[in-house]
Amino acid sequence: MRARIRTPAWKRYNWRVVWLSLLYAAFLLPAVYGFKHQIIPDPLKYLVAILPAMPIIGIFGALGRYLVEEQDEYVRMLMVRQTLWASAFALSIATVWGFLDNFGLVGHADGYWIVIVYFIGLGFGGLYNKLTLGDGGC
Amino acid sequence: MAYADFTPAQRAHTKRVLWLMLAYIVVLPPLIWLRATRHIGDGVLLAMAIAAALPVLGIFASWGRYVSDERDEYHRSLTLGRIAVATNVTMGAAVVWGFLQAFGVMPLIETYWVPFVWVVVQGLYGCIEVFSRKGAQS
Repeated sequence: MRARIRTPAWKRYNWRVVWLSLLYAAFLLPAVYGFKHQIIPDPLKYLVAILPAMPIIGIFGALGRYLVEEQDEYVRMLMVRQTLWASAFALSIATVWGFLDNFGLVGHADGYWIVIVYFIGLGFGGLYNKLTLGDGGC
Repeated sequence: MAYADFTPAQRAHTKRVLWLMLAYIVVLPPLIWLRATRHIGDGVLLAMAIAAALPVLGIFASWGRYVSDERDEYHRSLTLGRIAVATNVTMGAAVVWGFLQAFGVMPLIETYWVPFVWVVVQGLYGCIEVFSRKGAQS
């Protein structure tokens, strides 16, 4: 069944994610170094802070494009189920954490943690697919 | 689309969401008042924070149940499209804000703003869909 999941659209999606991940590392490391050593001029700070976010947004774009390009309806359905699980998981964690924060029980969390939780949710979605349908998906 | 045109799954989902929003409106103000005016132990605060989050989690669960219950493939695909757009926009906003926070150029905010953005984007995209369909018909 794994061979069926490795469709041309899935391969393109994987390559896009690999390139975007490399781009992420290429933007993040200089940004961290620059902010740590305070060598970034004030007018450029917003730009340098936003740059590492762009490849991550690109990964969400790649996910959307994959769903449009995928011709195998079964494999697309697996990914849709995964993304639904990931969305529900990330939004639920954000809601609970937000109220715990509001009532003074936990500290503020940087917003990008939601995205990390989302990707963990994709893993849970894959696990749910595996347990219920026998295929984990992408 | 008028309520009379709703599918059975849409009607059930709308009722569930309205009840959950009512529960949210009833539960939240006393919790905020208690937090502001009384000295409360951490255990009770934890229960209060989770109680405030539960109706919102219920709304996400209701979306999941709607997608599962909906028999009209067209409506289901519209909903899945809206969810995908809302999730991508929300995650994009979260990751940009997250990096701006991490590099100290924007303030930290409570994470429950993330599901708030998700709900707003989903509503806005739904409106855009309705107006674009009306524009195409006329």
